[in-house]
Amino acid sequence: MSSALDVDEGEPAAGSPAANDPKGERQRFVLDDTGFDEVPKKYRRFYRKWKGAGDRLAANEVICPVCKVVIRSSRTLLPGDRVYCMPCMSRLVVARNEATGDLEALVAY
Amino acid sequence: MNDVHDLDPQRFYEEVHSFEFWFQAVEGYLGGTTWGRRPETVDAPMAAEDRDRLITVLCNYCVGESAALEGASGLIVVAPDRLAKVFLSTQVVDEGRHLEVFHHRLRELGVADPEAEVERRASRSLQTFRRRLLDLVASKDWEAAIFAQNVILESLEFAVFQDHARDADPVTAEILRGVVKDERRHMGFGENELGRRVAAAPHIRARIGQIKKELDHLVLESLEETVRTLGMPRDEDERLGRIYLESVARLGFGS
Repeated sequence: MSSALDVDEGEPAAGSPAANDPKGERQRFVLDDTGFDEVPKKYRRFYRKWKGAGDRLAANEVICPVCKVVIRSSRTLLPGDRVYCMPCMSRLVVARNEATGDLEALVAY
Repeated sequence: MNDVHDLDPQRFYEEVHSFEFWFQAVEGYLGGTTWGRRPETVDAPMAAEDRDRLITVLCNYCVGESAALEGASGLIVVAPDRLAKVFLSTQVVDEGRHLEVFHHRLRELGVADPEAEVERRASRSLQTFRRRLLDLVASKDWEAAIFAQNVILESLEFAVFQDHARDADPVTAEILRGVVKDERRHMGFGENELGRRVAAAPHIRARIGQIKKELDHLVLESLEETVRTLGMPRDEDERLGRIYLESVARLGFGS
């Protein structure tokens, strides 16, 4: 069974981490399937479960504020990047939390 | 393009609201299960008092699922576009499955007539909430009904089921974990759909604020009741209530 959409097609859309990194200067990450099973197989590597206290976000990860799943990108994330949470179908924008200095994702309705 | 985040927003929405996406998503965690559990997950011995408490809680879950099933199916005709209609059709299937697995679990726990038991044990505040939700659906008020169903009810269920799964017996826990995975989609759809609507037509905000004021106490009362029945610590209802309040706060509806 194949899904209607192929991730490997087309140019990166405006606002995406790739489009925001035109010179390819950001660190790239190889994403492995971590066993997250709530989206079709080909998207699973882009998400993982938050393991609770002791878990740490990598430079290419943010937490979805709606459903608390960890969203992963193949590039380092920076403020202004648009990412998607497929498990809860949210569009998000990465921002810097001024109080903590950490990256966070805000829902973009 | 080799990253899902490279997608154009419209293509993203087309994808995640499709039946095809739903089918492949649920296949990942429901494949190989029967009545929401794997064959190797078996019942552990349970004290009569614990079983009785679990029956009461499951009866309340059935009221919530039944409300969402009737609500989501009624909303398909009101939904403003194809993507919302198709998404709601997947939600209807999810809710029907939830109701079925909870009824099946009640029978396993010795309840001969789950319908009658639900009627007898269900929380009054939850039943009032259900009636009010179905009134909103019948009045074809898309924004208010989506708020009541996919924001209030779904975020409440998401929080309670997730917490209950941590301490439940193995069979109930596995059923709940599968349901929570479905609830993520329902809750996310509600918040995003309503967020887009409020952003495009700010006058909606006042009406939704009224609905929130009206339904808040019913939600928080039924939450308190469930926490008490499950024997969770007293401050747990506040923590779970916060998850609900967080999602309404993101939409701009503070307490």
